[in-house]
Amino acid sequence: MAAGTHQIVPRRRGWVFDEAPAIWLAPLGVLLAAFYLWPALQVVRTSFTDANLMEPTARTTLDSYRDVLFYSGLNEIGKATLVFVGGSVVGQLSFGLLIALALDAGAKRKLPGVTFVRVAVLATWIIPGVASGITWQLIFSESRVGFLNGVLNAAGMRSIAWLSDPDIAIWSATLANIWRGTALSMILLYAGLQLIPGSLYEAAAIDGAGRFQAFRYITLPQLKPILLINVILVTIFSLNTFDLVLPLTGGGPGRSTEVLALAVYNTVFHDFNLGEGSVLAVMMLLIGLGMTAGYARLLR
Amino acid sequence: MSLLPGGRRATAIGLYLAYGGILLFFMLPLLWLLSLSVRGPAEIFVSELRLIPREPTLINFAQVLQIRQFPLYLLNGLKLAVGGAAGAALIAAPAAYACSRFDFKAKKAALFAVLAFQMISPLVVMVPLYRYMDSLGLTESHAGALIIYVAIASPMSTWLMKGFFDGLPPELEQAAMIDGCTRFGAFRRIVLPLSVPGLAAAFILTAIMGWSQFIVPFILLSKPDLLPISVGIYNLLGTYTGSATQLVAAASVLSLLPAIVVFLVFQRFIVGALTAGALKE
Repeated sequence: MAAGTHQIVPRRRGWVFDEAPAIWLAPLGVLLAAFYLWPALQVVRTSFTDANLMEPTARTTLDSYRDVLFYSGLNEIGKATLVFVGGSVVGQLSFGLLIALALDAGAKRKLPGVTFVRVAVLATWIIPGVASGITWQLIFSESRVGFLNGVLNAAGMRSIAWLSDPDIAIWSATLANIWRGTALSMILLYAGLQLIPGSLYEAAAIDGAGRFQAFRYITLPQLKPILLINVILVTIFSLNTFDLVLPLTGGGPGRSTEVLALAVYNTVFHDFNLGEGSVLAVMMLLIGLGMTAGYARLLR
Repeated sequence: MSLLPGGRRATAIGLYLAYGGILLFFMLPLLWLLSLSVRGPAEIFVSELRLIPREPTLINFAQVLQIRQFPLYLLNGLKLAVGGAAGAALIAAPAAYACSRFDFKAKKAALFAVLAFQMISPLVVMVPLYRYMDSLGLTESHAGALIIYVAIASPMSTWLMKGFFDGLPPELEQAAMIDGCTRFGAFRRIVLPLSVPGLAAAFILTAIMGWSQFIVPFILLSKPDLLPISVGIYNLLGTYTGSATQLVAAASVLSLLPAIVVFLVFQRFIVGALTAGALKE
């Protein structure tokens, strides 16, 4: 919480304008209201119409909701999104935790090279999403530039259709997202490990607890809030991911990797269906708000 | 290492094995990208698997930089990233200060709003924003795109700066105010100069995110001369996949190099600010 919330009123006459929080918040408030809040409200409004980018006239109706919820490929979008987001959460958290534990153990033993590993992992998080998508495209590629199939072939195995088999492609995209996002989970969990008092482990050691028991009864419970924050952040970031998937699969083959964000884009800018695109955008909005509410509760 | 007792030595070996695995997973894709980017057209399709090509060459980088718009892509990316981060810092600093120092009724709501804006994908608002900006005549211009870059970066900037201001003792500016400084004067003369590390961390992080920003320029800009690097390499992917993968790889390397260099130089800074920002209010 703020350190100095009590206010000192300087010796000045009349209304002191710079003691009013609203003045300080105004530029941010105006900007976000005009270019974020207002358009967000417009999306909600448009979702209740049958608006189309080609025809300017639109009538108020629930048709767009009906069409999205009952007729179009919501099942496919839902499945792709669930695998992508769920897989990312599980993958990034478990992988991030293992790496954080390995780095923490190395740092406590003052092993040389720990910082190098940490920075190398973090660097993947800083790379532009499009560049990550292209990189993984070249890893999974089924032409002769593809790395993974090159390895398989060199080992005498047959190539795998990483990106052109609809059942595999979504998992490939998820793996690429785990590669990109694990750094965030890792660094938050690593910070969390530093906050656990060493005395807890000493007390456990005196009581005869082994490494696994210390992990189970001290590390995990102590990390719980940070793990929950991680679940929320990874969910939201994966849900919002667009730039990684577009160059990697473009949503295909078929619609097998058309995650929610991609579906919003395709519905509006390819099908020109503003109404249905807005319905999908409202879904993103609601999930985002729900996640934010959860996040706000977890922060101290 | 030889000084370590047996058990500790085994642990250390185990840890280094783990580090090897971690590095392999995280570095290999980038090394493969790099490897493809230094191959001539003859070596890009050879069937043997080699990380280091027989005849490495830098010709692809020269060729990519000769593509008419490519240097412009880099410049536009830089312009939008730096402009967006600077604009966001300017707007976020006073707001963050208010959230750190004042007590007001709507403070909880304001902080929640800042957080929510940070979480909601720009994609949600891009749909109406495209028509809105179009009606204002702000599509196909960097000015229009910059406003959105600033709007997207400012919540995160606010959040990070608030964390930093919270760590500064308020007595410093109170002393200045007792001496007759206005609060704004104290903010400008005392708080801001002391917050340079925090401001810089917020600026660098939002600039790196601006460099990666894809959806906003992808939707608002289509004239090739205006595109930033993120959209530029995506377009190159469409043009050259299959025919000249080595050029796509070289362009991608050029796009991620600046972000990585900036990150490596400032990583202590950035990581500290980021972890603090994500874990506390």
